[in-house]
Amino acid sequence: MSSESELVVLDHVSKQYRDLTALDDVSFSIRRGEVFGYIGPNGAGKTTTIKIMVGLLRQSRGTLTINGHRMPEEKEQAHRMLGYLPQKVAFQEWRTVDHALSTLGRLSGLSGHELERRITEVLDFLGLTKVRRKKIIQLSGGMVQKVGLAQALLHRPPLLVLDEPLAGLDPASRYQVKQIIRELSRGDTTIFFSSHILSDVQDVATRIGILNHGHVMQVGTLEELKAEFTITRDIAIALAADCSGWSDLKSLEGVGEVEQPAPRRLVVRVAGDADLDETGYRVMRELLDRGCRIRSFTPVTPSLDEVYLRYVGGEQT
Amino acid sequence: MSFSLLFSDELRGFYRSKVMMFLWVGLPLMSLLLQLWQPDPGEDMSFAVLSAILVSSIGGTLAAVMLAVSIINEKNSRAYDLFLIRPIQRWSLVASKFTAVYLCIAIAAGLALLTGMVFDYAVMGGTPDAVLEAVGESLAISLSMMAVASAAGVLIGVVSPSVLLGAILVIYGGNQVSALPMLPSLTGMEHPVAFTIALGAAATAVLLGLAIALFNRKQF
Repeated sequence: MSSESELVVLDHVSKQYRDLTALDDVSFSIRRGEVFGYIGPNGAGKTTTIKIMVGLLRQSRGTLTINGHRMPEEKEQAHRMLGYLPQKVAFQEWRTVDHALSTLGRLSGLSGHELERRITEVLDFLGLTKVRRKKIIQLSGGMVQKVGLAQALLHRPPLLVLDEPLAGLDPASRYQVKQIIRELSRGDTTIFFSSHILSDVQDVATRIGILNHGHVMQVGTLEELKAEFTITRDIAIALAADCSGWSDLKSLEGVGEVEQPAPRRLVVRVAGDADLDETGYRVMRELLDRGCRIRSFTPVTPSLDEVYLRYVGGEQT
Repeated sequence: MSFSLLFSDELRGFYRSKVMMFLWVGLPLMSLLLQLWQPDPGEDMSFAVLSAILVSSIGGTLAAVMLAVSIINEKNSRAYDLFLIRPIQRWSLVASKFTAVYLCIAIAAGLALLTGMVFDYAVMGGTPDAVLEAVGESLAISLSMMAVASAAGVLIGVVSPSVLLGAILVIYGGNQVSALPMLPSLTGMEHPVAFTIALGAAATAVLLGLAIALFNRKQF
């Protein structure tokens, strides 16, 4: 059941195509105002999840609600609060940018001066003013993607669903779109986006969902995902000066390996099922007893890439 | 609201398209050539009927191809996604396209038949009554056949996964189905115009209804 803070709730959602299970018992929720990054390898079911969310596909089992409206039964109400950017955005070939936005804006409930003002605002915001009267088929792929984003933002939807919004954009445009996502989220827009560029997800997402083979493996903030398991169980130590006898640390209880990757740097690998905190305490005490001056003592935290690879087993994004 | 907006949009898209340019000029020209050529339609068929068959056969086929190809392309390129995630009624997407194309093609056919009849009256010397009667019958047959062909084009566009298959189905299926409204004239019925219109309207409604039902159920 959805609570007030949850805008989108997927509850045991599955999607079956004959013999293929595209989504299997997927459950998670998207909280109001958050930026939810959805990652997974190709074919994991990201786009299927998104298409079910926006009402282009019907789930085979389970329920999905947007602001309490069940999809697809109450999709007309849900669609009023939705902006969507597909992975490959396409427009009818005879439309100009202005005409496409005008029609889509009207269909989203805008009209008259308000529509005109919003088109001008959004095009200006995305740097598309110069191509306003151009036919969309004359624009580059990156520009078309931006026009796609423009139509999604036009009616100020409280929920933005973006399928790979950064794919196909040059670095400057990617930076711009990430800035837009951050800016929108500050203005209370809830954003759900999929991406295979993990650094982009890490940059803008407040929570992350990892999908693999149609299953949601984990949902949480980056810190929560990292805390779910310690990937390397390493402790990185930076010393203020060279310290002799560091190789003796290996004899301490709970220590597996000790390496010196660089002068005044040590990496202590915690053995098997030894406790990370207790072993860390022993290592620190031993170093201090030996008169070593410790500059930093940090359990190695995995990057999103490492977390991701652990969950999806090294499959390509 | 969505139907009228989409209809005016589609009209704007179609009336300036290359195919429509050809029809705006080509159909009246073909009608003129028919008048000059004056083929013998045979004992059971009036010249007006023959003229209507030829005009509507070409116009109807082109309309059906245009509709089928347009729908298949837009479906495959995912151009409909941006419409379908908005609070609109799905049927208006295909119904507006059908109405826009049909209106364009009907005007082109009307112009074509009228051109021929005016030419016939001015050059060959006919009576206004006879001309009007002939125009009426021709228009009834043409418009009915083209409506059926257009509806078949929409249905084929909705069900066909590729442009090639769509074109083949239009040529071998849509064209045959569109001949249905000709039956009353060919079988020598007493009031062929009324039966032609009724038959054309019924066949169009069935085909378009089926296309809309399938489009509504379609997952994108």
